[in-house]
Amino acid sequence: MSRPASSKESNDERLFLIVAITMSLIFGTGFFLLMYTLNKREKDSGKAAEDSAPHLISPDHPRQLIDFSLTDRTGRSVTQSDLTGKILVVDFLYTSCSLTCPVVNRCMAQIQQLTTNQPDVKLVSLTVDPRDDTVDALAKYSERFGADTNRWLLLTGDKATLYDLIGNSFLAQDLNDPFNYMPGNFTHTERIALVDSHGKVRGYFDGLNDGTATAVVDEINHLRN
Amino acid sequence: MKRLNIFIVILLIIAGCRLEAAPEAGQKGVKTFDVRGVVRQITDDRLKATIQHEAIPGYMGAMTMEFNVKDTNELVGISPSDQITFKLVVGENNSWIEGVHFIAHEIEDVTNNTFIIHYQSVELKPGDLLPDCAFMGEDGSTIHLSDFRGKAVAFTFFFSRCPLPDYCQRMSKNFSETRKLLLAATNAPASWQLLSISFDPGFDSPEMLSAYANAYRNGDTNHWMFAVASTNTLSGLAPRLDLMIMREGDNIMSHNLRTVVLDPQGRIFRQLDGNQWTPQQLADAILLAAHKTDEN
Repeated sequence: MSRPASSKESNDERLFLIVAITMSLIFGTGFFLLMYTLNKREKDSGKAAEDSAPHLISPDHPRQLIDFSLTDRTGRSVTQSDLTGKILVVDFLYTSCSLTCPVVNRCMAQIQQLTTNQPDVKLVSLTVDPRDDTVDALAKYSERFGADTNRWLLLTGDKATLYDLIGNSFLAQDLNDPFNYMPGNFTHTERIALVDSHGKVRGYFDGLNDGTATAVVDEINHLRN
Repeated sequence: MKRLNIFIVILLIIAGCRLEAAPEAGQKGVKTFDVRGVVRQITDDRLKATIQHEAIPGYMGAMTMEFNVKDTNELVGISPSDQITFKLVVGENNSWIEGVHFIAHEIEDVTNNTFIIHYQSVELKPGDLLPDCAFMGEDGSTIHLSDFRGKAVAFTFFFSRCPLPDYCQRMSKNFSETRKLLLAATNAPASWQLLSISFDPGFDSPEMLSAYANAYRNGDTNHWMFAVASTNTLSGLAPRLDLMIMREGDNIMSHNLRTVVLDPQGRIFRQLDGNQWTPQQLADAILLAAHKTDEN
């Protein structure tokens, strides 16, 4: 490649190099911006779709229903083994919650109705405020939503047991959120979780989304196949 | 020809840079796994972490092993025995962990290769001393709980924008009635204090507090103060008292109701949960708590 070059040729070459580098930079930057924009648009449209249609949100890490012993709103003791082999639809509540919990529980009521003749499906509500949500308080609360005592279990009990269950099997914790003083600091208490018949947590649906009840039922049918 | 060569070389270099700049994402053969585990050891430079991790379905069973750390900043503040979640990224020639999140200090139980985190309650019981904390009063001054040592103190929580008559508004009405009962009681000692604490520091300024307070106090500020807690104070106080506050929008908070009576030594004497207690019950509890000085 090396050969003696005349000064004109080398000047010429230097000029060309400068032009080439400049052009490349322009093209390169343009190309990068184009790819970046396309990529971003793709992400944004994905995000928009995420906001509207309910879909299964994966757990942050593999989660499994752990052992527990709690009390339902009729005073019966309920343990993990009572639910073995059932598909579970699980939500999280406290009866003094004014806005989100009623919306989520209306969705649970809808799911209860849509799965009326499906004995392999049970609904479970776990309170995060057991000091207030006694058996009696839950019984009263469940009447508002027409909960069937055999199909929809509202559970209370020892706070540590409840929090161990919620934290290990269902919800992530955010210890740094300055506006979330829920004991346990659970995040996304508005979600409805779906547990398969092997006790594996398949994922979550947004309990505040209108379409969630039918999406949960679709996913249950999908689980059975 | 030579010019073209140079041009192509430069283009290739640029293309190469782009490829280099986007390594793992979407690259074929790279797998990512969500994993949970407990940190056993971290090297001083934080480039390697030994983690006892749960089974990684489709990749490997539960074991303790050393991982390369992609961003050493993610391990700042994390120490051995902390439980974490992370992403394990496995490429063709190397692997590393990223997206490290702290979950809890110390685990206590490992069954079926699954870590069970045990919730550690800091909730106080009657008889426990409530650690001192500070609030901002109606005149902007600082109020410490310890300022009331020697008195029985009853406090409850509210926020002035609370729209529900059976929540904060009922608490304020009950306090108003309680004060009437105590002022009228012939056997009442003078050593008692009511305190209403707002948990809405972004909105409840001293002026807002005063305006709200005067609507319930009828111009008589005796024995009843209003204050607002900072987010910092609340983050310590709420879990101790089992108080729950959750923002549900810019202006609205969902919360439970906790009313507490402290004895003159600052210990929890009585906890009145919810909204079913009566002013008489609170007045009785305050009298009993106040008399604890006399006995001691």
